[in-house]
Amino acid sequence: MKTEKSRLIQIAILAALGLAAVLSLVLPQILRGEREEQLLSLSVMLRDTDSSSWTVARQGMEQAADELGAELRFLTLTAANDSGEQEALLLREIEDGAAALVVVPADPGALSAALDPWLVVCPTVTLESPMEGAAGVVSPDNARLGQELAGALLEDWDGGEVLLLDTAGSCAGVAARLAAAEAALAAAGAPVRREPKLPEEPPRWVMAFEPPVTQRAAERREAEGRDFALYGVGSAAAVTAQLERGNLAATAAWSDYAAGYLAVRRAVNAVRGTGGTLAPLPFFILREEDIYAPENQKLLFPIMSSSSR
Amino acid sequence: MNFFRRLAAQWGERYRRMSIQMVLSLSFTAVAAAGMLLMSVSMIWRFSSANEQLVAENSRRVLAQANLNLDSYLRRMMRISDTVYYRSIKNMDLAEDDLTGDLSLLYEENRDDLVSLAVFDGEGSLVSAVPLTSLKRDAAPEESDWFQAAAQSMENLHFSTPHVQNIFDDPDYPYRWVVSLSRHVQLTRDGATEGGVLLVDMSFSGIEQVCRDVTLGSGGYLYLIDGDGELIYHPRQQLIYTGLLAENNRAAAEYRDGSHQEKFQGQTRQVTVKTMGYTGWKLVGVAPGVSWFAASPQLPLFGLTLLLFSIFLMAFLNFLISARISDPILRLERSIRELDKGLANVKIEEGGCYEVQRLSHAVASMVSTMRHLMDDIIRQEGEKRRSELEVLQSQINPHFLYNTLDSVIWMTESGQRQEAIQMVTSLARLFRISLSRGKSIIPLADELEHARHYMNIQQIRFKNKFTTEIEARPGTEGLYTLKLIIQPLLENAIYHGMASAEDDGVIRVTAYREGEDLLIDVEDNGLGMRPEVASSLLDGERPEVRTKGSGIGVRNVHQRVGLTFGEGYGLAIFSEPDEGTLVRIRLPALDREEAERRREEEL
Repeated sequence: MKTEKSRLIQIAILAALGLAAVLSLVLPQILRGEREEQLLSLSVMLRDTDSSSWTVARQGMEQAADELGAELRFLTLTAANDSGEQEALLLREIEDGAAALVVVPADPGALSAALDPWLVVCPTVTLESPMEGAAGVVSPDNARLGQELAGALLEDWDGGEVLLLDTAGSCAGVAARLAAAEAALAAAGAPVRREPKLPEEPPRWVMAFEPPVTQRAAERREAEGRDFALYGVGSAAAVTAQLERGNLAATAAWSDYAAGYLAVRRAVNAVRGTGGTLAPLPFFILREEDIYAPENQKLLFPIMSSSSR
Repeated sequence: MNFFRRLAAQWGERYRRMSIQMVLSLSFTAVAAAGMLLMSVSMIWRFSSANEQLVAENSRRVLAQANLNLDSYLRRMMRISDTVYYRSIKNMDLAEDDLTGDLSLLYEENRDDLVSLAVFDGEGSLVSAVPLTSLKRDAAPEESDWFQAAAQSMENLHFSTPHVQNIFDDPDYPYRWVVSLSRHVQLTRDGATEGGVLLVDMSFSGIEQVCRDVTLGSGGYLYLIDGDGELIYHPRQQLIYTGLLAENNRAAAEYRDGSHQEKFQGQTRQVTVKTMGYTGWKLVGVAPGVSWFAASPQLPLFGLTLLLFSIFLMAFLNFLISARISDPILRLERSIRELDKGLANVKIEEGGCYEVQRLSHAVASMVSTMRHLMDDIIRQEGEKRRSELEVLQSQINPHFLYNTLDSVIWMTESGQRQEAIQMVTSLARLFRISLSRGKSIIPLADELEHARHYMNIQQIRFKNKFTTEIEARPGTEGLYTLKLIIQPLLENAIYHGMASAEDDGVIRVTAYREGEDLLIDVEDNGLGMRPEVASSLLDGERPEVRTKGSGIGVRNVHQRVGLTFGEGYGLAIFSEPDEGTLVRIRLPALDREEAERRREEEL
């Protein structure tokens, strides 16, 4: 009786091990197959009415999405910096099942309050400005950027008032750049004036703190044949072209491609719970003569965009 | 060292306690498991090695194909350069002819692959260019790498690394990535020749398209570097440019053509290098060293469970097989143990393989021989016992006979004729019962009768100094007893107990039953003795001294009863000085059937 019982136990163990061997072969393939089919749906929300200035960042985002198994939906606003519309659109995206959000917040404070209940289930990564409750922010150190841009101006400055184009609105990142530049200029004894728009008769020294504003100011300088020295931010082709044409004295540039890539990677990692931290993006002050330095070419003109003419 | 010694000793001890089935089963399983492990390791090693070779071979084949495609593409570009040079530039005097028409024609034919075609004089001034016809205001072509390379090495065509072409004035500022093919050319102007540079800007996308679709499988990829390791194409080129990814391209530039193993950022990978003929560029195929393993992450788990399954299956089968082998040995061992316990009729099974059969047969034969020998010993012991009994019995008769006949002679001589007749009659009766046809077990009644006749004789001899009472209590009817066991005790009572009696001696014989035993008490009221003396009378080790009252008769009876009925039966003596002695005989209560059976056994 005892022998019979132990033999039955042996056969049961044998069967269990055999089953485990088969399962170990089949199950991971099934699970992997299921995993491979699950693409994460990510929504990317800008604070502009078009995404032309985000083309390079978008390439970086798509590269990350391709590598990490995500699909992206790009959304723009009907009116630039309309935080109400941005909140409404983002809430709709969350309801539609977005796994994570990548946002350039128009008003980080208001957006954080609006998304607060959802930030746990739908991780949100911001570009440009930090936001409370977000899974991370991808941007240069805005204060340092403003400071160094002011430093670039001061290198050329030989007196006169400096106009700071205050277009920050509720955008904390831009506001931080502006405040730091203003402080640096004031510390150097340069008179400073804030204006929301470029006046009819701008002073000799002008600073802009957003890529589109920089681009528009440079275009106006060229169109109107002004000779003020413009210091701006951004590394998009349009900004670089203005720099090359002499309409921009210097620009604080960083890799938009890296910014886009890191934002999507952080968002996917937050959804999958794999963590990771984000360091501030490296930036540099670019002048006309440095545009075609080999290392700058690699950062400013993404090779993918040039190949897809 | 001590630890291993202790371990070995423990294993040795366990081995000694293990059954043969367990030893066989464990040994087979251990050997099989070791074999399987060895085989698995060698197979994994062989598989890995074959896989590496396969990956290397695959990489070489893919790289050869990519090299062919890329070489074909570059040769096409070189043909364009040759066409411009040999068909146009060489046949034109720039003072009279315009080169732009020929350049435009060629550009239009190859516009998918070309970004620009341009000819510069030796100072870097633009001679002709398509599709853009002017330079930027501050463009300095003579400072470009491609210009200087062409100017320095006039015989060759030079391919640059990818760069953004920045010399032409394009209102769209498209910042196109190109690979520049440049060469030194001889320009003719007003019949005089001068040096110049022909530039063919190839679209980077042409190279990218050739390389992009090349796959090495299982996470492998291909990249292209120049002779210095500068990256020309990489599937994740922009990530490398932005510093988010690193590639081992500088080290790869040092590798010779063929497959190499390298460790980069903690990963072992197989790198296959193929140098392109004219440009000196290197195609580098990278196959992660763990690609086959990473593609099947369940393999270790599967291998482990399969190994466990195999080992358990092996153990299970070995257990069954070893049980089949060892069962006959175990049965034999069990039979021997039963024999050891003294069980009769144990059958020795002769099964199993040849050696075990031979062993069983030998054991069975030995047991048979042993049984015969034991039977012989038992028979001899029986005979010996009978002869001892006979000797003991024969010790009684001559002694008593002598004394009785001596008394008869004395009485006849003294004229006591009647007493002499009575004594002789009792003697005759005594002997008749003594003979009992040679039987050693007789009815209790006969034994008591025998005692009575004996006492008759002794009373005449001792002139009635004592009286005798013989009683058989109820329950003793029909019982049997060993013959001539009371008479020696009576003799002892007379010689020891009644020696100093003066007509008041009493000797009492009482037979009664106690449970399954028959007890016969012989009691006197004579001198008695100390208890220690009484107990020493039955001591078999006591030296035999043949004097009256030595107790030899009593010991004879004790030994006879013991030999006949076994331990627990025999005599017990209870005595106190001046109070008399009680000798108690304990026998089994034998009925007629039992008595008959014992008689037959004796025979």
